[in-house]
Amino acid sequence: MKWFKFAVLNTLRNRRRSATTLLIAALGTAAILLAAGFAEYTYQGLAESAARDAGHLVVARSDYFQHEEDTPLQYGIDNYPALRSRLLADPDVRYLLPRIQFSGLVSNGDKSVIMMATGIDPDSEFLIKGPFLNMKEGSLLSSAKSDTPQILVGEALAKTLKVHPGSGLTLLASTTDGALNALDVQVRGTFSTGVPEYDKRALYTDLETAQRMLVTQKISQLGVYLSDMKLADDDRARIEATAGKGFTTQTWRDQAFFYKSVRELYNRIFGALGGIIAIIVLFVIANAMSMSIIERTREIGTLRALGTLPQQLTRIFAMEGAVLGGAGALVGAVLALIVSVILLYAGIQMPPPPGRSVGYPLSVSINPLIYALVVLGVVVLATLCATLVSRRSARKPIVEALNHV
Amino acid sequence: MSEHTPVISLQGMSKAYNMGEGRVQALSDASLALPPGEMLALTGPSGSGKSTLLNIAGLIDTPDTGRYLLDGEDVSQLDETCRTLLRRNAIGFIFQGFNLVPVMSVADNIDYPLFLAGINAGERKRRVAEMLEKVGLREQAQRRPDALSGGQRQRVAVARALVKWPRLVIADEPTANLDSHTADQVITLIRELCHAEGAACLVATHDDRLSTRCDRVLAMRDGYILPDAPFTHLAAPAVAA
Repeated sequence: MKWFKFAVLNTLRNRRRSATTLLIAALGTAAILLAAGFAEYTYQGLAESAARDAGHLVVARSDYFQHEEDTPLQYGIDNYPALRSRLLADPDVRYLLPRIQFSGLVSNGDKSVIMMATGIDPDSEFLIKGPFLNMKEGSLLSSAKSDTPQILVGEALAKTLKVHPGSGLTLLASTTDGALNALDVQVRGTFSTGVPEYDKRALYTDLETAQRMLVTQKISQLGVYLSDMKLADDDRARIEATAGKGFTTQTWRDQAFFYKSVRELYNRIFGALGGIIAIIVLFVIANAMSMSIIERTREIGTLRALGTLPQQLTRIFAMEGAVLGGAGALVGAVLALIVSVILLYAGIQMPPPPGRSVGYPLSVSINPLIYALVVLGVVVLATLCATLVSRRSARKPIVEALNHV
Repeated sequence: MSEHTPVISLQGMSKAYNMGEGRVQALSDASLALPPGEMLALTGPSGSGKSTLLNIAGLIDTPDTGRYLLDGEDVSQLDETCRTLLRRNAIGFIFQGFNLVPVMSVADNIDYPLFLAGINAGERKRRVAEMLEKVGLREQAQRRPDALSGGQRQRVAVARALVKWPRLVIADEPTANLDSHTADQVITLIRELCHAEGAACLVATHDDRLSTRCDRVLAMRDGYILPDAPFTHLAAPAVAA
């Protein structure tokens, strides 16, 4: 305790220098925490979005994930009701969303455009996933029967085909037998997913229409929604076993290519940024400690003459580094917390990222574990830095230190 | 160790320093013995080797040749850690420039050697209070050194040197920065406390007022202790009871 008190008093010798050092450590810590919080928020958002789109787990025939299909639904699930009953018996399973993926052409009579269609269970899909589509015109699909099958069309696709809610279109696609099939449909609404390139091809219809189009009772895959997203990894093997032989289960992470690539990119960018900030903070602390040590060379000689061991002196300087780094890190953490809370309520929008048409809120996660690790990291690095800087001075010959001018 | 064993016995000490391309002989074949309670003054011009001899006696420098017995034990070959621990327990230092730790209070400065020695808090508190009383600084215990006069600071340094009941006190020009009245007070204090504690005291000084108050005076020149130097017993060495 006496050593610590001595270290604290030493940091107060040159208050202006200590304050400057502390401020830089605080700003560095705050910058690292805000960058980490922003990355964390982005990861969370992307993870939730990915899990919401695909399902916490995705069940399909094993070949579905491994091979390209020669004909539509070649590797589809053919006894969906039985599979559904088995999976819903699992205590962690809350909802199941069947989907049919198919492609073909969509035509307005004058022009035909490639489409990437998804057959969904409309009531469940929109109930469970919430407003995942940004409706531009018209209304969402529903399971209510209508004379003409209904579809939702991507905003850019609607523009290409010059259609609006109520317009008629024709879908053309290969059946599961490889024959060509056509179906007249009516546009119920247009939507934007936020990815313009996807909106040029995207189309949603109900499961029944998709099965009619492909002349089959199969579905492509089944999205499984658990009571908690975090259960996905733990429950995966059990769900796969419950699905039965010939089925494979993937987690949302396996399906989230965008999430993985963004995470990898951000980890590198923010990792490098954090490293640079940490180096700057360390240089500032090292510089402050060096100046302080040089100024106290005679005192070091005196303390050594009085019987202080070099390692005890090094310990004092290490504590000084820890005090400066720790105080700076704590101030930085408070600063980052304040900024994060302000951002939470400020509602600042970031511009759309490349390849997207909608921005996203600028928000920063407040993760106690990250705060603790960053503060601890700054303290440890500052301590190591002060230790390295002081080692030589603590071992300087006493007579030389006492005669230092 | 008998009652008559010298606290320190330096035999044939020599020390040379590299200075540029040359080598300067700072100390040549110096020998002396200092019994308990004796106050010995080393006098001589600057560069005569006083400080070098003091540094070697205080175990903060090592001789090139010679043998050093501290309380009868040969300490010439000790490694740095052992020398540090020996300084911590057996040697007190009084510096010309006081060399107090500015961020510590008067009481903490005096307490520091006891803390280093691992003495428990209660005993330290008692001994610091006792020493503050002896040096007349009880009222200034919580002040910082920069709030004290030069004489008061040197009294703190004396208290710091003697609080651990050392066997040897090394004082390098302890009155050089003090006016004559204050210097006289400090000399009296060092002498009384050393005698009272039975500590041998080795003083380097230019100050005749100080040297004439010592039990013995040795003159030095060019690294040698002069054979025809005034060798005066001004007072009988007071051996601690």
